[in-house]
Formats: sequence, C-alpha cells, structure tokens
Amino acid sequence: MKWFDEFFERQARAVAQKTSRRSALTRISRALVGTAFLLPVLPYSRVAKAAHGAAPEGKLDPMDDTHCEYWRYCALDGFLCTCCGGTITQCPPGAQPSSVTWIGTCHNPQDGRDYIVSYNDCCGVTSCGRCLCNYNEGERPAYRMSVHNDINWCMGNDSAVYHCTVSVILGVSGAVTK
Amino acid sequence: MIRASKLLRIGFALALGCRAALAADPLPPEKIGLATPPAPNPHRLYLTDLQIAHINDGRIHVVDGQSFKYLGMFSSGLFGITTLSADSSEMLIAATYYTKRNRGDRFDQLEAYDTKTFALKKEISIPTKHALALPYKGTISTSADDAWVFIQNATPLSSVTVVDHKNWKVTGEIPTLGCWAVLPVPSKPKTFGTICGDGTFVTVTLNDKGDGATQTRSEKLFDAEKDPIFVQGEAIGDQYYFVTFQGNVKVVDLGGDTAKLADSWSLVTDADKKDNWRPGGYQILAVHAPTKRLYVAMHDNGKEGSHKVPAKEIWAFDLATKQRVERAPGSGAVAISLTKEAKPTLYTYAGEEMTVTRYDTQPALKPVATSAQVGDTVGLIATH
Repeated sequence: MKWFDEFFERQARAVAQKTSRRSALTRISRALVGTAFLLPVLPYSRVAKAAHGAAPEGKLDPMDDTHCEYWRYCALDGFLCTCCGGTITQCPPGAQPSSVTWIGTCHNPQDGRDYIVSYNDCCGVTSCGRCLCNYNEGERPAYRMSVHNDINWCMGNDSAVYHCTVSVILGVSGAVTK
Repeated sequence: MIRASKLLRIGFALALGCRAALAADPLPPEKIGLATPPAPNPHRLYLTDLQIAHINDGRIHVVDGQSFKYLGMFSSGLFGITTLSADSSEMLIAATYYTKRNRGDRFDQLEAYDTKTFALKKEISIPTKHALALPYKGTISTSADDAWVFIQNATPLSSVTVVDHKNWKVTGEIPTLGCWAVLPVPSKPKTFGTICGDGTFVTVTLNDKGDGATQTRSEKLFDAEKDPIFVQGEAIGDQYYFVTFQGNVKVVDLGGDTAKLADSWSLVTDADKKDNWRPGGYQILAVHAPTKRLYVAMHDNGKEGSHKVPAKEIWAFDLATKQRVERAPGSGAVAISLTKEAKPTLYTYAGEEMTVTRYDTQPALKPVATSAQVGDTVGLIATH
C-alpha cells in the first residue's frame, strides 16, 4: 500500500490519508472529520495524485474543483471532468453529456447552503483516467436508482462509453445534509 | 565467508561449463502451443475487474488462491457483469460492445466461457440494456439448476432479461420497476426475488416458456430511508442473508409465494455502536451453512456515506446464537468470498492495495497469506 502522508486540514479539522495510485473501487482516503464546516463530511476519497487530483499537503482548498475534496463532489464516484479538459459543468471537448443522471445533496461551505447536484457523466470518449474520486454521501443501492453511483450513467446515450463526471447545481435543497 | 579466490574458481568453472554446453547441443526449434489450465479446484478465484481507466477492456482474472499463481483471464468488454454457472463449469458474462469501439452500433451479448479450457463456448445477442454496473453479485444470476440465466437491465428503468440456458435463447424480459438484483430461489428454479426501493421484495415466478411471469410484492421488510440494505444477498436454502448500512442482519425467506422476513438481528453491540462499526465495501458478506457462520467486512468510525469503505476487520458470527465469535484484521477488503468446502477458506480483495488475502477459518479466522498486486478495479470474487 502506498498511502501518502497524512495531513491535517486545519479549517475542516480533517485528517485524510492519501494515496498515489488511481483505482476505482478503492483509492481510499479516510477523512476523520470532527466538526466540519468547510468540507462535506466525507468518509473517504480516492485521490489520484499521480494523475493530478490530490491537494498539496496542508493546502487543501475546498473550493478547488480539481480535487476530490471539492464540496460538490460529496456523492461523486468517477473521474473529474475538471481534470480531463472540461469544467465543473461542461464535458470535455469531444464528449457528450449523459441524458440521465444521479443526484447528490452537498453542503457549500462558502454560503452555508445545501445544494442538489446533478452528476452527469460525459460519454463517448474512452475513460479519462484522471482524478478518480469516490464519495458516497447520500448514495444508496440501485433500488434507489436516482441516488446510485455504481452504475454507468452514460447508459441512455448513443455511446455508453464512460469518460468523466461533471457536477451541475440544480438548486438549493431544503434538506440538511448529513 | 567465501574467499574471493574461491569465488573466482567457481565463476571460472561455471563459465567453462556454459561454454561446453553451448558448443555441444543447441536448443531445438520449438512450436508455439496453448497452455492448459490446471484442473479447477475450490481455491480457484475469479476476480471481476471493471478496469475503470480502460473502460472498454474489462476482464476477469483467474488466480489460484493457494499459490496465488495467475492462471489466465476472460475478457468482459464494457461494464461486463459476470457470474459462474451454478455448477461452475461456465463463466457467464453479459457485456456491451460498440462497432467502432467507443461509438457506432451497440450490441450486448451473453457469453459462456468454459472454465476448464477458458475457451468461448457460445455467445448470444441480448437486449441492449444490460446493467452497466460495477461488478456486484446479483446483477447476473443463474437458477440453481442452471436452466435459466437472469440478467439485470437498466435503462435506467429496471427489468430482467431471461435466457433459456440449455436452449441458449432469450425467452423474455420481465419488468421489475423500482427494484434491483436477481436473487434466485434454490428450491424453485423458475423463481427469483428482487429488492425494491420502498423496502419490499418482489417474488417473480416465470412461466414454463420463460416469456412471462407472475409477481407478488411483500410487505415492507426493511427501511430504505433509515437503514437501507446492501443488495448483496447470500442464501442458505431459500433464506437470504442481507446486512444493512447500520449493521443489522435481515434474513428474508424467498421460498414462499411472497417474501417474508424470517429474522432480524444486530451485528453490533452498544459498545460497537459507540465506535460506529458498520459494514462496508462491495461484496461485503459471506455465509457458510455447514459451520453456521456469517462473515462481514466491517469498519469503525462509520457515518453517512461510509458504506463502501474497505474493511478494517472481518467479523464472524454464529448464525445459531447470532453472536460475534471472532474478529480478524480486515486486510482492506472491499470484497470477501468463501470457498465451497466443509472447512472453508475466506478470500478477500483489498481495493487499495489491489491484492488478494487468504484467511483460514478453522480453527480460527486469521489472515495467512497475501498475493502480489493483481487487477485494478476488482469488486467481485467468485470461488470455483
């Protein structure tokens, strides 16, 4: 196992373990969160440091959307499109946005609101392989399909080949995350 | 310590020997051949690997669990979902392909590979809607008598494609809206159960042709809001064992016309709850009828969203007393599986380390050996 150094995230009081290798069910960082304000209370993330995606030690920025810890990614399982030539809401060039999605409810540390986030997969280009993340707050098994992330949401597109995932705000949630 | 002069003498002798061999007999010309896998045994492992960074190129690694020798692989295409046949003679894969690899026409196939030779035995087109799911148990299943293959579909609307295994043809598609996973009922080969988002189970019974079915919905058997069950179910007879996000066991009897809750109990004591011990992973439990044991992948500091965290420990429970009887290191497992033996061996796959660990279960549960890295995105272990 090649854990990266533990680091202390001062503002969120989170200790996370990081790993260098990209993998899917796995690259796990455990976030032992005390009273978290700036980051969602996340159990773990898979940070693909070698392929970008890991925050520099001790300088975790919860508003940096190329890192797994970015607040909108609280239920995202996949490659970050922000690392693949796209943006937080735009698929990389050459890919197609998925026609169906799953959703999460994530806490924005800047304005203190909870937002409903649509996780659209981007499709039709082979898998990006960069910045693999795996957060599962509010995620549920496939019998609750709309909040399930262990399935390919490119399934409804002409090409179901999975490339990466964007995080699009649908609106403010009345519910409280966590 | 060997002296330098002696080393020199040994080296000189070896050099002379090599030179003599070279002069005497050149290596004969060779013919290319095909390796034959060793005969299957209960410790042969099949590791389904999504290969998420090379998504068109899924595969199943075949590894001997005793030696950790790599025996070969099966190709499983884009999001292939996999199961061994009930008799383990075939590896069945429902996979998706495109005519132009990343685009073009989609076609889905059910493929049957011979587990003795690893050769493709047969393939058949299936509706282009099989679940493009991570490798979860229950996304594709055979009936206990191997007469039928059931394939979970998602468009994302849920249905099940039915394949007549012996006649090797698709016979029908059964809508299972709002429900997920195929849980074959051992005593009734034409019947399977499926788990629904409202906390009920639906029992589906095929007609003789397999082109239609009757369905009965149970009462609410679990709370999908407060304490959802993981979809992996492991059967003893017609009773399926599930665990919940909060660490409860639900035993669901699928043997009747309607699914019924046969039993419900907790994996965690009050002390365990203080440390928030919970189940986590992808293939998170295993049951063994002869020894009446349940094994569960557990982690502490659990919280909302921690349900895929690798195991910190493996816990063993006595199914008769419903008490935890053993706990062992978790080896970072995201998948666990038992051999089909009277005294079983437990195998786990570590998602982070990408290794297989072998555990003795008798006389005590303990990890005994760990492999080198194998695979990338493995989430499912099948034992022969």
